[in-house]
Amino acid sequence: MLGALAILPLRAASAQGTADLYGSVRDSSSQPLRATLRVVNGDGVSVADAQGHYRLSVPAGLVIVRVGSLGFQSLDDTVTLAAGDSLERDYQLVPAVVLLQPVIVTAAKHSQRLSQVVTSVALVSDTDLARRAVTTVDEAVDKAPGVQFLNGQVNIRGSSGYVQGLGSRVLMLVDGVPANQGDRGGINWDLVPLEDVARVEVVKGAGSALYGSAALGGVVNVITREIPTGFHARVRALGGAYADPPHDIWKFRDYTGAQEGLDVTASYGTDVVRGSYTAGGWHSDGYREQDRRNHWQTAGKAQWLPSPATRVTTSGSWASDQYETPLIWCTQGSCNDRGQAFQPFMIDASGRGAFTRSDKGYLAATVERRVSERFAWQARGSWGRTHFTDFQPTGDDWGVANRYGVEFRGEVTPPGDRVVTVGAEGSFSDVRTNIFTGDTNPTSNVVRTHDQRELAAYAEGERQVGTVRLAAGARIDHIDVDGGGLATVLSPRFGVVLPTARVGVWRASAGRGFRAPSLAERFVSTFVQGIPVVPNPNLRPETAWSVELGNAATLSSAVRTDAALFWTEAYDLIEPTVDSGRIQFRNVTRARLAGVDLAVTATAPVAGLTTTLSYTFLHARELAHDSVPERPLAFRPRHLLTLSADYQHGAIGVGGDFRYTSRLDRVDIYEPDPRVAEKVLDLRASAVWGAWMLRAQLANALNYIYSQVPRTLAPVRTLAATITWTY
Amino acid sequence: MPNRRSYAALLALVGVVACNEGLQPTPLCAPNAAAICGRVTFQGTEPDSTEGVLIVAYPTFPQSRNDLLTFQPFPPPPSLPRPFAGSQFYSLPLRNGRYEWVVAVWKKVGAFAPGFGNADSLLKEAGFYRDQTNPTAPGVVVVHDSSSDSVNFVIDFGNMHPICTYFPPCP
Repeated sequence: MLGALAILPLRAASAQGTADLYGSVRDSSSQPLRATLRVVNGDGVSVADAQGHYRLSVPAGLVIVRVGSLGFQSLDDTVTLAAGDSLERDYQLVPAVVLLQPVIVTAAKHSQRLSQVVTSVALVSDTDLARRAVTTVDEAVDKAPGVQFLNGQVNIRGSSGYVQGLGSRVLMLVDGVPANQGDRGGINWDLVPLEDVARVEVVKGAGSALYGSAALGGVVNVITREIPTGFHARVRALGGAYADPPHDIWKFRDYTGAQEGLDVTASYGTDVVRGSYTAGGWHSDGYREQDRRNHWQTAGKAQWLPSPATRVTTSGSWASDQYETPLIWCTQGSCNDRGQAFQPFMIDASGRGAFTRSDKGYLAATVERRVSERFAWQARGSWGRTHFTDFQPTGDDWGVANRYGVEFRGEVTPPGDRVVTVGAEGSFSDVRTNIFTGDTNPTSNVVRTHDQRELAAYAEGERQVGTVRLAAGARIDHIDVDGGGLATVLSPRFGVVLPTARVGVWRASAGRGFRAPSLAERFVSTFVQGIPVVPNPNLRPETAWSVELGNAATLSSAVRTDAALFWTEAYDLIEPTVDSGRIQFRNVTRARLAGVDLAVTATAPVAGLTTTLSYTFLHARELAHDSVPERPLAFRPRHLLTLSADYQHGAIGVGGDFRYTSRLDRVDIYEPDPRVAEKVLDLRASAVWGAWMLRAQLANALNYIYSQVPRTLAPVRTLAATITWTY
Repeated sequence: MPNRRSYAALLALVGVVACNEGLQPTPLCAPNAAAICGRVTFQGTEPDSTEGVLIVAYPTFPQSRNDLLTFQPFPPPPSLPRPFAGSQFYSLPLRNGRYEWVVAVWKKVGAFAPGFGNADSLLKEAGFYRDQTNPTAPGVVVVHDSSSDSVNFVIDFGNMHPICTYFPPCP
């Protein structure tokens, strides 16, 4: 009662007007701090500028102001002001040792500490990205625990398998904006220049409760760099070379293949407006026959910060690739086979001359506003476009697709450590094409247009109950294709996080995921290797229930572990089916994917040495259906092991990754072909001199010759070096 | 805290796991390749309308027209290389199993209609591997993690049989 009485005058005063608090925030050596100032017992928040100056509007009466900055002890100041008063207060913060917890934004569509997340998340930090002299995001994410790329198609715990890039069961986001292709449902990993990427968050398991279709197996959020104040520039040059075939009988050219590239980034920012622009390109001779590629890209980002609580961001990128298409490698009789059963560096003569032009880009605009300490909202609109043409000896295939999206999201933070996220999302995809036509005659060259609409609403709440954190939410999606209703899908999710004193943080979650068939899967009409691929307009969405139990523990000051048991029951999986001499996508498979994820990170016994071991065991089975007995799911390796080590001594760093992927139990095409386990060792080194940074990477250092998918040679030993100048 | 012994064990693990050398050059009909191999001998004159000649195998002898699509390997291999004269060596990668009909298929120039409705006019049996004791019957070949060689037979352009020979009526 006394507490309520004590508050009464404050509320009464606040109703009477506001006052101004202004001044500066500095550290103990008088350096300005961009500190946050927040009214604890009412509304009002401000951020100090680059000079440490701030101005905070506060309710009249007694107010408690909390001043905080990362790496410093927070300070509470109590002042009494009359309406219309203006008071100067200068603050000095003292440093504090702060154990930084990674903060992620993808798992719950709002910022949260990694230890509060109910599902498994793999983080690829800017440090991880910087260590590798690579050119695209997928090359950098490839070694993340539990993540595997099969010839460019991402798999999280075996989610997608391999369908030539179609119908990804992983949703890609760029700064939270869905970026999967509107027609094929696949992912363009070169959409965002790697130089612009700050970090990548990989959320494992069904994410449809917040993200809807495509997030059946997980979500990959590519988060671009914040634009700093002042003028900055960065120039990065890339050079490299591919190893020759390790056996003379496989030689296919008389020169060493090379790659080279150049990226330039410039940015300028003030406290109110900021902008950055990146442009660049690279060329590669490729490591096999008919494998040359040119890539051009440009990207920009602009921000307007009219107040500390409001941010308007627009961003976009455009990339163009022209690349020769190696299709499949040569087997006996399909090239000059030199008496070999197969020639992995040469191509089947039937694909000679094939090349692709692929243009893609996106534009996005986001408005974020924190209305009060208790409520924030975000609105965004986006447009993604892809245009590809496959030039082939047997006839060209092409498609032009658009994907328009809008989303409105609110985040309510009631007292009591609760967070409620609610939102609505809509998207419209269309494609004009001569390959995804739905025509039952694959030899025809008819041009048709198809479209797909998705409308969704979602809500998820989190609440701290004692030491336990609970989360529950659901999303409902309605999808229609060409104006006809396809499906309405409800995707709930439940989760709990339980920190313990002795055995780390436990997490458990159960969620439903789904994926609507892509326009390509429904309407494809073409030939692959001479086999007709026929459409199936009756495809239904595939669904799955995912359950996970995980634990993150710190075993000692030098060793951290993260382990998870996962289990997914999938229904109506859409898979290519070979039947009666033709290929068709069908809802045929009832599947089970279960396994264990384990990651151990150690920072010892040598100072500066960090080592990580990650292992995934996957039991992926296609359950018996029709006349098909139970069998392994195609393109899912049973074992995935990654060992990483990095040593940093001053400005010099060295490191490496070793990836072992067990031999695929089953492939669904060219099954008699020889296939082996994947054993790839990457080595790297870096050095920094002032504004210059040199990085080198020897990928596949052992020049291990293997294929991830049949008759497609995986990258051979590749030496790449980048030199970066930063202003 | 992990000690140096742990790291040595990890390095040893990497060494053991990495010692396999990956894909290696594989001569046609190598002993460790699951395949059938042999020599085909051409007879007669190659028709002008020939698009190619390819060899496939059937686990069981086709009992109906629909069974004609159960051939292995799938997708079918490329055509044998020209010239279609004299004799040449062939190798056909197959999964392990028993094959009751190893057959050479002659393909006429032209595209298949939807549902293979024009297959009769585009495909012909041009020869098959024969039972050594009863040459009128197809020979059985078993593949089990190694090549079955000497699966030799004749491709006779002068004695080819359309599909309807096996599954009447003929158009």
